[in-house]
Amino acid sequence: MKGVKGVFVGYLVVILLGIAYVTALGLMGR
Amino acid sequence: MTEMKSRGFLRDNGLSLVFGALFVATLVGQAISGTADFNAQQIAEGLEPVSFAEYVTSSSFGVDVMENWQSEYLQFFLFIYATVWLVQLGSTESKKPGEEGKETDKEQKVGRHADEDSPEWAKVGGWRTALFSRSLGTLMAVLFVLTWVASSVAGWAAYNSEQLSRREDPVTWPAYLAEADFWNRSFQNWQSEMLAVGSMAVFSVYLRHRGSSESKPVGVAHAQTGQSG
Repeated sequence: MKGVKGVFVGYLVVILLGIAYVTALGLMGR
Repeated sequence: MTEMKSRGFLRDNGLSLVFGALFVATLVGQAISGTADFNAQQIAEGLEPVSFAEYVTSSSFGVDVMENWQSEYLQFFLFIYATVWLVQLGSTESKKPGEEGKETDKEQKVGRHADEDSPEWAKVGGWRTALFSRSLGTLMAVLFVLTWVASSVAGWAAYNSEQLSRREDPVTWPAYLAEADFWNRSFQNWQSEMLAVGSMAVFSVYLRHRGSSESKPVGVAHAQTGQSG
């Protein structure tokens, strides 16, 4: 299950980074 | 049930890895075609075209990505919550009629009814079990809110840059939330998700796909609910 946990965390990290990136673009008014 | 034996990282995670790779590939596709589409509009309006790097760091690209993400998490959030209380006779996406509701601790293997290999937070009781019992739906709900807010912030910036290019006044973020642009982007994504969920729920009653976990076994009766192959 170790590898599965890595994929689980990977998905969460990508989603949260995506949200942070798009929010930052908006806040910077790009 | 004992833990399944690992057959190697790639085979153990095939579904997540393939969809993760398809996500990256289609996101790149969106970025390339989005740049071309954005530049076609720029030229039509007599404005300077932008580079690929400029486009993927623009809120115009950001809102196009995020408005789709938010609708997906809305779909899963609603689907998870609705399937606690609503059934569809004969559907693979539904519990059996009569099982509506949160079910007993015994059926859910919670607290003293937990198995030896149950997750720790299912066994301990108290706030941890209460939280763990809702963790999937809660995560989808939180991701929906975060992605929807992100899409509104990026949509606001993209809207304002269009306003400025037309020499019109920019609006504040709360004012953007009342703009037709924001609600049109939201509803056009939501409607497709609702149709997709409803289609999956009802099509799986009468149709089969041999070998798929989303389908009943081919020979199972149409009236059999909540069984996947």
